Amino acid sequence: MTSARRLYQLPGLLPFLVPALLTGGGVALPLLYLALRALEADPETLRDILLRPKNLELVKNTLSLLLGVLLFTTLIALPLAFLTTRTDLKGKRLFSILLTLPLAIPGYVGAYVILSATGPGGILPLPRLEGYWGALLVLSLITYPYLFLGLRAAFLGLDPSLEEAARTLGVGPLRAFFQVVFPQLFPALLSGYLVVGLHVLGDFGTVSLLRYETFSYAIYLQYSAAFDRVYAAWLALFLLLFTGGLLLLEGTFLRRLSLARTGKGSGKKARSVRLGGFTPWAYLLLLLPVLLALVLPLYALFHLASRFPREHLTGLWEALSHSAMAAIPASFLAVGMALPIAYLAVRYPSPASRFLERLGYLGYTIPPLAFALAWIFFSLKSLPFLYGTLPLLILVLAFHFLAEGLGPVRGALYQVPRRLEEAARTLGDTPARAFFRVTFPLLWRGAVAGGALAFIGAVKELPITLLLAPMGYATLATRVFSYTQEAMFAEAAPFALLIVLLSAAFVGVLLWSERRF
Amino acid sequence: MQLRRFITLIGLAALGLAFAQQQTLTLYSGRGQSLVEPLVKQFQAETGIRVQVRYGTDAQILAALQEEGSRSPADVFWANTTGALGQAASKGLLRPLGDTLLRQPVAFVPASKAWVPVTLRLRVLAYNPQKLKPEELPASILDLPRFAQERGLVGRVGWTPTYSSFQDMVAGMIALYGEGRTREWLSAMKALNPKGYASNPAMLDAIRAGEIDLGSTNHYYVVRFRRAGYNLGLHSFKDGDAGNLALVTGAGILKTSKNLVAANRFLTYLLSPKGQQYFAGTVGEYPLVKGVVADAHLLPLEEALAKSPKLDFEKLPLDQALRLLRELGIL
Repeated sequence: MTSARRLYQLPGLLPFLVPALLTGGGVALPLLYLALRALEADPETLRDILLRPKNLELVKNTLSLLLGVLLFTTLIALPLAFLTTRTDLKGKRLFSILLTLPLAIPGYVGAYVILSATGPGGILPLPRLEGYWGALLVLSLITYPYLFLGLRAAFLGLDPSLEEAARTLGVGPLRAFFQVVFPQLFPALLSGYLVVGLHVLGDFGTVSLLRYETFSYAIYLQYSAAFDRVYAAWLALFLLLFTGGLLLLEGTFLRRLSLARTGKGSGKKARSVRLGGFTPWAYLLLLLPVLLALVLPLYALFHLASRFPREHLTGLWEALSHSAMAAIPASFLAVGMALPIAYLAVRYPSPASRFLERLGYLGYTIPPLAFALAWIFFSLKSLPFLYGTLPLLILVLAFHFLAEGLGPVRGALYQVPRRLEEAARTLGDTPARAFFRVTFPLLWRGAVAGGALAFIGAVKELPITLLLAPMGYATLATRVFSYTQEAMFAEAAPFALLIVLLSAAFVGVLLWSERRF
Repeated sequence: MQLRRFITLIGLAALGLAFAQQQTLTLYSGRGQSLVEPLVKQFQAETGIRVQVRYGTDAQILAALQEEGSRSPADVFWANTTGALGQAASKGLLRPLGDTLLRQPVAFVPASKAWVPVTLRLRVLAYNPQKLKPEELPASILDLPRFAQERGLVGRVGWTPTYSSFQDMVAGMIALYGEGRTREWLSAMKALNPKGYASNPAMLDAIRAGEIDLGSTNHYYVVRFRRAGYNLGLHSFKDGDAGNLALVTGAGILKTSKNLVAANRFLTYLLSPKGQQYFAGTVGEYPLVKGVVADAHLLPLEEALAKSPKLDFEKLPLDQALRLLRELGIL
């Protein structure tokens, strides 16, 4: 019965299915490539690779960093989200903006700043932070905004009558929070955890600078130091097991949760909690991440940039426009790819549509270098005229950063009532027409948010840009790379600063699209 | 009439395109843009040959070349390490070079003739001169662990096991002293609880900041720190010691190249007095042709050449070194 119905729906769904499948294929190609390279290993090498004791250490390190960052970001984001939505503090809007801006700081910049600011001669009175604690701090400080944004939205959308009902039944304020409010924050926590987790698993800039060996660092080493594509492919496949596990966990939890909100329409505004004597402490708590994750990196970059030799200034504009010309179309394309995938997963949930959606996320933790090599290999085989052109770079960046767009688009789709679309369908619209006439106008904010996140990812991306950009196409990120490679930090700083400023502009777009500020 | 003019235009454009293609050289560079760009500009101005450059690390470029296969648009591969060039040669990516070119450098020409050495760098020991005296430093890198133990430097030694030049040095040690002694040395180094850094500037910055006291590195990094006004010590071991291993940069022409003439001219330019002077002056590397005036921070070329052990750099047992490093859990 259901399968017959599905078959009947098929022609109408083609406008979603075709792009969704093409996108899935684009993300799956690098997987195929990794498998191809991994299989080149001869049995003896393979045994060595699989049974290395070092693998256990990598598993342990990766897991403890992942769990540590999830815990730490919760400890940062949860109180901050509460303080900026449910209290009588002044300047909540301003703080919400400032607390989101660390999204614009690339991990390698954060790591560099922590290294130069701590230890002897540093401006922070701390022992030199590196290894586990350094990586934990930097990754938490640059990823907590994902969680913060989700939790803020959840707090704002919460129906206070539930909590009040609990209080009238004689439950204390703390217990009411943990028993009634906290479970309602769970969907926001979960989707935040997924994004933060993907960032932690995929990051190598931070961990390599801070000397903490995770899988992504080991992969980076094998590609860069040892000229070894086979071992690197195996490590990448191990890493994808982690990502796959994370995606499976999130999917299982998410399905068990009831997402329906009760009484949303008639819900009244939550009362602000009066902080009284705690107010100074609350401000301190709000200021600390702003200082560490925003002011400190900007100060360090400006300080370095002040020693920038003037004659290099001309390259800045060129790099800026190159970055924008690659990252802006890529972010549009990423959202365009995310829309049909999210639509199918939300409106027509089935193992197949869910798989396609998870695949989109998986693409994000395929190491970017493997992603780039796969596309060199496949594009030269099948689309040689595209090789070394800007469109190919844009396409591959979009495939890689599709995951950044998926979350917000999916979230927005959940909030669009299905009934509206169905009404349009009963009036004779095809699914595609109904989508564009009814649903899309309601979810474009989610699309803008997803696009902004994809842009922030694409503008600081390195290996894909290096290998797939047209010849001599220098972007901000490739300039930062080539100067830091020669230890010319003052020369690199203005380019890094522009990455931060450009990303900050898109964080502004993101905040505007959420319109809760 | 209109049509004829149109066809003529198309024909001219096609001719122009063909001409441009012939005169465009595609360079894949594992060396940094900030270092390559000025030289490429000079070359373009003097020869009129347009040069397109793809930048990356040696490993990224090598991987890209292998994935591109016979369709690669690259003419020249200019690398930071002999390891990458040796790999490219053994994978059959490079075309043998002519003798006029290979006769120019005073040393390090590979037996395969697949690439030509361009400049020389040396491994050295960088140290904190406020803490250590030059005369007390060991004469061989093999004695470094014992020296550090005696001076109580446990936890205060840095190294860069993931960096290609360090791995080259370990391969050099295997070639000179055998795998057994190299293994002992690595274990003794590990017993010092050394701090591993992802890059040399990071390690030298840690010496400057007083976090560690010494570490084996490449000479030009120390030169750059000194030029920037930081007081870092530079120590060379006795002549012929693996701790002074020469690190040769070089370039080769790819088999896929369709612009052999331009590619040859580019390699010739790298070895010309002008090109070599650029490396010796601005970059702080040792030139490999005679008659170039070296920077004040550098040794005379003869002395520099005497420092390094004489090895066939293409035959450095790099795979063996990597296996050893992995086996000991260092990589």
